[in-house]
Amino acid sequence: MTESTTEDLRIERVFDAPRELVFNAWLDPDQLSGWYGPEGYTVPRESVIVEPREGGRWELAMVPGEGGGEHPLRSEIVELVEPSLIVIENEEIPDHGIGVTRTRVELHDEDGKTRLVLIDGPYEQRMGEMAGMGWNGAFDKLAVIIA
Amino acid sequence: MQADELSRTFSALGDPTRLQILSRLAEGEATVSELAAPFPISLPAISRHLKVLESAGLIERDRDAQYRPSRLQVEPLGAASEWIETRRRTWEERLDRLDRHLQSLQRGTQSDD
Repeated sequence: MTESTTEDLRIERVFDAPRELVFNAWLDPDQLSGWYGPEGYTVPRESVIVEPREGGRWELAMVPGEGGGEHPLRSEIVELVEPSLIVIENEEIPDHGIGVTRTRVELHDEDGKTRLVLIDGPYEQRMGEMAGMGWNGAFDKLAVIIA
Repeated sequence: MQADELSRTFSALGDPTRLQILSRLAEGEATVSELAAPFPISLPAISRHLKVLESAGLIERDRDAQYRPSRLQVEPLGAASEWIETRRRTWEERLDRLDRHLQSLQRGTQSDD
């Protein structure tokens, strides 16, 4: 009844860069500290730990520019295929009611460009349960009410 | 919405009986016995589920009315359903920055972007 996979977040993006470059951007601490943090956050270089192998650590901290507590992200690389696949498993975040999630980054070559397919989740396993319970119809109604 | 409130919302939602109760309440307000009708469990058990939903802010109940009909409160549900959208926006923005980073790499200019 739980169809968590259907609730994974999926995003595709084409980058005008070869796969090797995109692949390295996910594994090189210097590069990660430059681009990974959300808007308004920085990722201190010294917080980034990447052990580029299956079973290796993939960790960093996001620090809000406005001050306040940092958000550590502790993950483990579970699949690594150069230059086409990176799968990391993210530690649970109990404060957000989030269990263990996986971030899967597929890199497909398209004539020298790179199509990145990102699959992230399951973020809301219970949403899957809701779907199985016929909750979707009620949720549609709610969406109308909320809008 | 605070993280702990969101967490309470999710944990309140993580039960099939409570989800069915909420589905029923999406149709309109209902008393405890009306809510209990479809379930093979006792009224006190239903009342306990309603307490969980109430403390998560997902329903509201009249204090004074004799049958204390329950009503759905949609605000926490909105926050819960926004969660995935928030994650999507975060990733889209992150990939925007990755794109700019890759462009500057290829131009041969080191950038802090």
